[in-house]
Amino acid sequence: MTGPGFGDQPTEVFAAVGDSAAAGDTAVREKPALAPLGKGGVAIRTAGEVFITLGVVVLLFMVYEVWVTDLFSAEKQSVASDQLDGDWAKDRTLHPELVDGKAFARIHIPSFGADFNFTVQEGTGENALAVGPGHYKGTALPGEPGNFGIAGHRVGKGAPFNDLDNLSSCDEIVIETQTDFYLYKVLPYDDEIDGWSSGKGAEPACKGVSTLRDSSVAGGGPYEKTFGRKVVLPSQGDAVNPVPYQPAGVLPKAQQAALLTLTTCHPQFSAKQRLIITSVLTQQVPKSQAKDYPTLLTKIGGAS
Amino acid sequence: MYGWLWRHLPGPFAAKLVIAIVLVLGIVALLMFVVFPWLDPLLPFNDVSVDN
Repeated sequence: MTGPGFGDQPTEVFAAVGDSAAAGDTAVREKPALAPLGKGGVAIRTAGEVFITLGVVVLLFMVYEVWVTDLFSAEKQSVASDQLDGDWAKDRTLHPELVDGKAFARIHIPSFGADFNFTVQEGTGENALAVGPGHYKGTALPGEPGNFGIAGHRVGKGAPFNDLDNLSSCDEIVIETQTDFYLYKVLPYDDEIDGWSSGKGAEPACKGVSTLRDSSVAGGGPYEKTFGRKVVLPSQGDAVNPVPYQPAGVLPKAQQAALLTLTTCHPQFSAKQRLIITSVLTQQVPKSQAKDYPTLLTKIGGAS
Repeated sequence: MYGWLWRHLPGPFAAKLVIAIVLVLGIVALLMFVVFPWLDPLLPFNDVSVDN
């Protein structure tokens, strides 16, 4: 429609609305202008409606995966957290039994904020992971030599490990048990291994973090494949072996470093690969020295 | 399909509208609380562990 013609329009429209009979006439007169749909037309329209409906359902599923599961998991996490606090308050046994799907520890990552904490459940089944991060059955326990393996969701279900790719080497990961806080620090990344001790490894934040490599052995010894951050295929279960990426039994338990490995999906929204963050135990603080996590944070320098 | 449904809802326009909204909400609730929780573990998006 041209400019002047459009300018003329309002007067006509107002006249039509004022005269209701005229408006009704127009509507009645316009309707039959649509050709009636034949059988084929109805079929095509119905197919179109079905496809649009399926599209809306897929969108709804996305909303469910990314946001609604967060709500369900937040509820489960809050129940698990209260229960864990209750268990810890009344039961003073040193090594509580591990029950499938039941929380036995808590993970804090100070660089994600002082309030970042999730309970750690036993097992990596779907039900355990809907509550929060889950412990790979049979892997080491907090503070033990070997590899304490934890899996967690990255999208939806509370997304505890959403920001795992934002961790840098030497960032702290704190595991709280009934009696102790275990402070782990992320190991050096691939590009930081060379010259670690004179480079980043010399920073105060990296105290206690070594490359774990044996300089007297070509390649670096049993820990030659261990890095702070690694992306692997889902089939690479040896990421949570006592010595990562090495067959079990490559080192006697007494010689193993106490590691903590976090796994989640990678890239975000995909299940093609796994993101693996490996950290090493640097300090153990009994709760007699730091009664709760805020106290511990002030002791170790607070959350960044 | 939707036209046929609309014609078969009883009552005047307001009643049809209310029934239609209730039906839509019911289907959304069914999806969110029954169908999606069932479907979720069957799909690979949430695999976060390595095969141990």
